[in-house]
Amino acid sequence: MGVLVLVKIGWRNLWRNRRGTMLTSLALGLGLALLLISLGLLDGSHEQMVANGVRFGNGHVVIQARGYQETGSQELLLPAGVVSATEAFLNTGAMKRVSRGMSPRLMASGLMSSAVNADGVRIMGVIPNDERAVSLIPERIVAGDYLGDDQQLGVVIGADLARKLGVKVGAKVVLMTQAVQPPGPEAMVAGGGEMQSALLRVSGIFRTGIQAIDAHVIQVPLPEAQALLGAPGRVTQVAILLQGEGDALMVAQGLRKRLTGAPVEILPWRESMPALAQLLVLDDAFNYVMNGVVLAMVGMGILNTILMRVIERRYEFGLCLALGQRPAQLAIMIVGESLALTAISLALGLVLGLSVQHYFATAGLDLRWFFRSSLPSALVFDPIIYSRLSLMRIVSSGGIVFLAATVISFYPAFKAARTKLPDALKVF
Amino acid sequence: MELKEVKKTYRSGPIEVPALRGVSIRVAAGEFLAIAGSSGSGKTTLLNIIGGLDRADSGEVLVEGKNLQLLSSGDLARLRLQRLGFVFQAYNLLPVLTALENAEFTLLLQGVPVARRKERVQKLFSEIGLAGLEDRRPGELSGGQQQRVAVARAMVTEPALILADEPTANLDSGTATALLKVMEQLNRAHGTTFVYATHDPQVMERARRLIRLHDGQIASDVAHAAPAP
Repeated sequence: MGVLVLVKIGWRNLWRNRRGTMLTSLALGLGLALLLISLGLLDGSHEQMVANGVRFGNGHVVIQARGYQETGSQELLLPAGVVSATEAFLNTGAMKRVSRGMSPRLMASGLMSSAVNADGVRIMGVIPNDERAVSLIPERIVAGDYLGDDQQLGVVIGADLARKLGVKVGAKVVLMTQAVQPPGPEAMVAGGGEMQSALLRVSGIFRTGIQAIDAHVIQVPLPEAQALLGAPGRVTQVAILLQGEGDALMVAQGLRKRLTGAPVEILPWRESMPALAQLLVLDDAFNYVMNGVVLAMVGMGILNTILMRVIERRYEFGLCLALGQRPAQLAIMIVGESLALTAISLALGLVLGLSVQHYFATAGLDLRWFFRSSLPSALVFDPIIYSRLSLMRIVSSGGIVFLAATVISFYPAFKAARTKLPDALKVF
Repeated sequence: MELKEVKKTYRSGPIEVPALRGVSIRVAAGEFLAIAGSSGSGKTTLLNIIGGLDRADSGEVLVEGKNLQLLSSGDLARLRLQRLGFVFQAYNLLPVLTALENAEFTLLLQGVPVARRKERVQKLFSEIGLAGLEDRRPGELSGGQQQRVAVARAMVTEPALILADEPTANLDSGTATALLKVMEQLNRAHGTTFVYATHDPQVMERARRLIRLHDGQIASDVAHAAPAP
């Protein structure tokens, strides 16, 4: 007897109890729908976290002086020529297509004080136009303007810092820091190691929603920072933003080849921002566990339905065996029935899941219902999550559900095949 | 078919129930034989053992020269498929298959091609008055029609022996008589051996040989004159 005939019989058997079949299909379909919705929001939130994280952080790829990632020492500066070499590299054919921009930055720690208060700050000396292409800070100005090329004495600060210092746009602040003493033969520049200060005017205030940035990060024009730190023409890092994070490794490898021999470290974002990378891994793991629990519960439902049907049809199986059907053929019939049930469930689940996922992909899920204050600094978060579900995710999720249902059907199939004659034929 | 001193005892914990206590029968090809007896006399057990659905505790069971006691489960299944036919008291048919599909089920198991299957089933259906009912599901057939489909399924593989366990028990007398006439007709036309169990006196009368069982033993074995068709 052909497998198709057995599957046909299995399919027809499903509809002997329409209500039971539809209820079970809905249960499994709902499980798949929840899986798809959850994965879509997970992938979407991760995509946003990475997109925001790299734009609030070091970009998709960062070039720093060797050792900077570990020590964060403001003494460690990139060798001269690295910025121009990087720019030349990113302007080559293939790299031009994948890169969106690069921003050289001079980083240091300092103290900012106003008439009212003072606080420790993280100084970023930037080229405004370059920084606009890479960072999100210029887009989060809530008062005043971002830095301009003509604002040599301007500074943009975070909203939390502005509140603490009691300053508004146009206010004067004093920035104090220690001039750098770079190691090696470039040591002992004028004022190296001594405290330096500058009087700046607040040109803009930004709010990112990330407390660590809003309370401590300030941006000044790069020449001003270089003058303050006694590091003319030098930068700490070059942050590179790409079209997509999938190209980070490729670009990093290309840059390593291009800058062979230079005392630099070239890090894709997973290495320069390990906390973010680990957060995503943890989030993934948690989601997979939760989805596994949901699938297990739904699987139990399927097992219960198929097993009940096998037990109810014991006489029928006895009849088939009495007529000469082989136990293996009975088992195939049961597996076929289960697969047919799974196919219906998958169809329902896909329709339901993809519909809801489409809504979240376009309108988004607004988490501001749950978060009332600034988001924790450990997270890089956009409050509205847009679902992103790849074809691979859909196929793999459906595949997992299908495989699980197939495996689950083996026990009832085995039980059917083990029907004992002549006991199964006893009706009365 | 021949049984030699066949014994069968059912055990449930410490309780033993002897169902057959040394039964010996010889059945020639083409016979139309009824096994009669009250409930618990061992009729079903006897048919199950002849049909390879159960094994005797001792004795020999020979069907077409093969000793069923020595065959494996797989061999018994093959024997049932190829050389035996079964008609049970009730619930003979698979509810999700049509009358035609039910009748050709055993041919499907044998791997007979579709055209040949349909031809054989249609021919039998015409012979036993089921023409036109091919596409009906069991739920759309009367009890008598369902049993005829079961008989057609048993016949369609051209078996040597058909075993029917109280095939008329759930039918009214008129339908029961009609079914038995069908069985007789097939027995005469094809030479197929029919062995059926019954406790209905009206049904017993139609057998050409009647074996009575009592408490697992043969009480009598009598040949009848063939009844009027």
